[in-house]
Amino acid sequence: MAAVQDGGSELEGEKEPKPELMNDGSTAPAAAPSSRPEDQQTLLAVLQFLKRNKLIESVDALRREAGLADEPEEAPGSEAAGGAGGAAAGSGELGDAGALLSRVSGGSQSAAAPAPAKGGDDQPDVSVVLSAYSQQGDPSLYQVYYSGLKKFIESVLDCHRAELSQLFYPLFVHMYLELVYNNHESEAKSFFEKFNGDQECYYQDDLRVLSGLTKKEHMKGNETLLDFRTSRFVLRISRDSYQLLKRHLQERQNNQIWNIIQEHLYIDIFDGMPRSKSQIDSMSGSLAGEAKREDNKTKVYYGLLKEPEIEVPLDDEDEEAENEEGKPKKKKPKKDSMGSKSKKQDPNAPQQNRIPLPELKDSDKLDKIMYMKEATKRIRLGPESLPSICFYTFLNAYQGLTAVDFTDDSSLLAGGFADSTVRVWSVTPKKLRKVKSAADLGMIDKESDDVLERIMDEKTASECKILYGHSGPVYGVSFSPDRNYLLSSSEDGTIRLWSLQTFTCLVAYKGHNYPVWDTQFSPYGYYFVSGGHDRVARLWATDHYQPLRMFAGHLADITCTRFHPNSNYVATGSADRTIRLWDVLNGHCVRVLTGHKGPIHTLAFSPNGKYLASGSTDGRVLLWDIGHGLMIGELKGHTDTIYALRFSRDGEILASGSMDNTVRLWDAIRAFDDVETDDFTAATGHVHLPDNSQELLLGTYLSKSTPVIHLHFTRRNLLLSAGAYNSQ
Amino acid sequence: GASVKMASPKTVPKDAQVMMQILKDMGITEYEPRVINQMLEFTYRYVTTIIEDAKIYATHAKKSTVDADDIRLAIQCRMDQSFTSPPPRDFLLEVARQKNQAPLPLIKPYAGPRLPPDRYCLTAPNYRLKSLQKKVSSSAGRITVPRLSVGAVSSRPSTPTLGTPSVQTMGSKVGTPVSLTGQRFTVQIPSSQAFSLPPISTVQNVLINPSLIGSKNILITTNMVSQNSSGESGSLKRKHEDDDDYDAL
Repeated sequence: MAAVQDGGSELEGEKEPKPELMNDGSTAPAAAPSSRPEDQQTLLAVLQFLKRNKLIESVDALRREAGLADEPEEAPGSEAAGGAGGAAAGSGELGDAGALLSRVSGGSQSAAAPAPAKGGDDQPDVSVVLSAYSQQGDPSLYQVYYSGLKKFIESVLDCHRAELSQLFYPLFVHMYLELVYNNHESEAKSFFEKFNGDQECYYQDDLRVLSGLTKKEHMKGNETLLDFRTSRFVLRISRDSYQLLKRHLQERQNNQIWNIIQEHLYIDIFDGMPRSKSQIDSMSGSLAGEAKREDNKTKVYYGLLKEPEIEVPLDDEDEEAENEEGKPKKKKPKKDSMGSKSKKQDPNAPQQNRIPLPELKDSDKLDKIMYMKEATKRIRLGPESLPSICFYTFLNAYQGLTAVDFTDDSSLLAGGFADSTVRVWSVTPKKLRKVKSAADLGMIDKESDDVLERIMDEKTASECKILYGHSGPVYGVSFSPDRNYLLSSSEDGTIRLWSLQTFTCLVAYKGHNYPVWDTQFSPYGYYFVSGGHDRVARLWATDHYQPLRMFAGHLADITCTRFHPNSNYVATGSADRTIRLWDVLNGHCVRVLTGHKGPIHTLAFSPNGKYLASGSTDGRVLLWDIGHGLMIGELKGHTDTIYALRFSRDGEILASGSMDNTVRLWDAIRAFDDVETDDFTAATGHVHLPDNSQELLLGTYLSKSTPVIHLHFTRRNLLLSAGAYNSQ
Repeated sequence: GASVKMASPKTVPKDAQVMMQILKDMGITEYEPRVINQMLEFTYRYVTTIIEDAKIYATHAKKSTVDADDIRLAIQCRMDQSFTSPPPRDFLLEVARQKNQAPLPLIKPYAGPRLPPDRYCLTAPNYRLKSLQKKVSSSAGRITVPRLSVGAVSSRPSTPTLGTPSVQTMGSKVGTPVSLTGQRFTVQIPSSQAFSLPPISTVQNVLINPSLIGSKNILITTNMVSQNSSGESGSLKRKHEDDDDYDAL
């Protein structure tokens, strides 16, 4: 490491001559063999480069002229350098050798980002040395480059200015990080001070983090920024604006900005009208720019799986659909049926066996019958018929309540706390009972009819059961659909499966070694998903001690994980301000949704599977059409982080709960009806969002200084909410 | 707490003022007053740890004074040890790609509670009770220890038993340390205890027998209580013991 840094600082002094050296082609050595150590290092690096590319004759020629002896082989990170060589060979058509160099360094950086940090060899690894070349031009001129670009962009036509202004933020961050990475601390500071005020307001949090990052060592621990540096920020610019920019940058003498753009930015060009500032603002805000159009092109099966046919028992007094033979009708029509009566497959729904799902047990069938009975008694909600809200306030939690979940039939409530306990309460008057101990079980009559009640222990029945086991605050809880299990995820990196029969811990799933921020059971049980600080979401099955799928791609922590109602897709919201939709079958990311300006803390799928709602720290709820991958609505109203979102049972109302102590109800049917997606918008992803939040807001309900952290609609469309009383 | 009570500048030590300024620079405006103290304690502990490590490194390198390189090395080592960061993105992408290639495993029907193999579960008891009463002579040297793995039974399919003859003979001995020497089973009783105290006699055992699962996925545990040798031996069952999981007493 020390060798690298010294080499870097010495080499940078002669950066200007070096690009010209490379310009002559890889075969030209230094004019005269100099005995300065930095030149030696450069020569060795060049030799390695040539060797990797199998330019044997050039190697010999260089050796002869430079008077070097034979070198030992194999520096670490050879694959990285090989990759770099490959990238250089592939981009040979670029006439500009400076750009060639930048591509090489860019390639080597992305492949060897960990390697240079760890390689402390005497052999100067070519990738390591070249990373010193990766900065374009003189550091003290960075301010000049940036101001030049600023002046240009301010002078273009209005319609192009909004689009080209998107360049400011990624360029600013990348140039600043270049300066820091190459140890130009004072230049970095002055660059930052001069231009950080020009950036958009929604990047302020990122800029604050950057302001504390002044040395290269600071970057090493910050995985998010390292990923940012090696990944490419995506911008969507119309073809006209792009041509303007390209023409301007290429006609100037020093096209350093052009090189930086080529290295660090990915410009997704579309044909059509340039976008307006408001359109751009609604889609931007994420750490990696916007989503490339091709990222959102995969077909997503957002339809629901067909409900299994269940025979409803004859003695059901609500049953009125018996046909004349007296046989019970095979399927009870549900009010929210989405074509469930039709036999043919919904083209937007996945096949029943696309992913293996557990078969229904008898108890599950009974549950389903109960569900259907409740569904008939469900209140139909709408703007004229708003739900009643029942608020469960946690007292004496002292800001320790970190997670809440209800069972689907609203009979049990679980809370995860910062003192690492999980507490389960019974919402109904029926107390919680656990199975008797083994001694007592031996004494019961196994043949009696009510054996399932007799095995429960009456003596220790209580309203609340406390589960101990985690060694850190519990950040996510989730009940299984059959009410047998409870999952909890914690800061200690494990996810625990608890039995609700014995109220003991059954399994601790270890895999994340860092805090797990959220977990959720699949709507069909058996699978569950978890996401945490390590930027990876994992899909598990209860009977496998290792995850089945790993969803990697986010740049920062995953803060929220949700299953789609058909259990074939998983949505993850992250601190990098994007939402990704993953396919359970093959682990691919099928959608990238950008637009939030803060970490996303809650997601909710609509019951029909077509839409997704998301809430974040910026106080906005965004609505997305999953099939097209477009943002179709924006609900403004909350003034603080939104931690809870839930659609009503038939999808008519969207409820949102926030730290500003309110629950707000929004008209979901109208929000989705208003969307017009014609061909153009579907192709380019630009929708004009109407500013109708006020009309969609159906009601605001304040709690008594209790932030709302969970919302749940009962089967009859009563809204339950939960939060911990905050006395300040 | 939402608000910060700003103590008068005279009484707040300089370190605390610096910490408040840092919090302000990082954009944190609302915090409990105790946060300052916690941050200062952490800073103090961290800095002293680094400096102590650096002194060790300097001594090792036979230098008379601690210099910047030692500090740098100390910080680096501590970072790799305590403040590890998650793996880099390209590594994660590669691991994910490999993991996602395998198709999703099919689900076995009617398998009872779907849990991983017992070795990965926390369902085994992790204690055994020791009786305090003093038994004089004829108490058995039988140790019946809670079982760990249901599936490891070989001799009798329905109930878990241990069929090694060595154990059977052990059962009749009196007052001797019981050591089940089998392939996997060893009960270790510290020698200090073995001769002076009578051996352990009664242990509550809880077995988890997943084959008795009903339709509600309830684990019905059957109790196997060990008895004295003078008593009945009919219901007495031997158990395996996986010694790795128990501390020697």
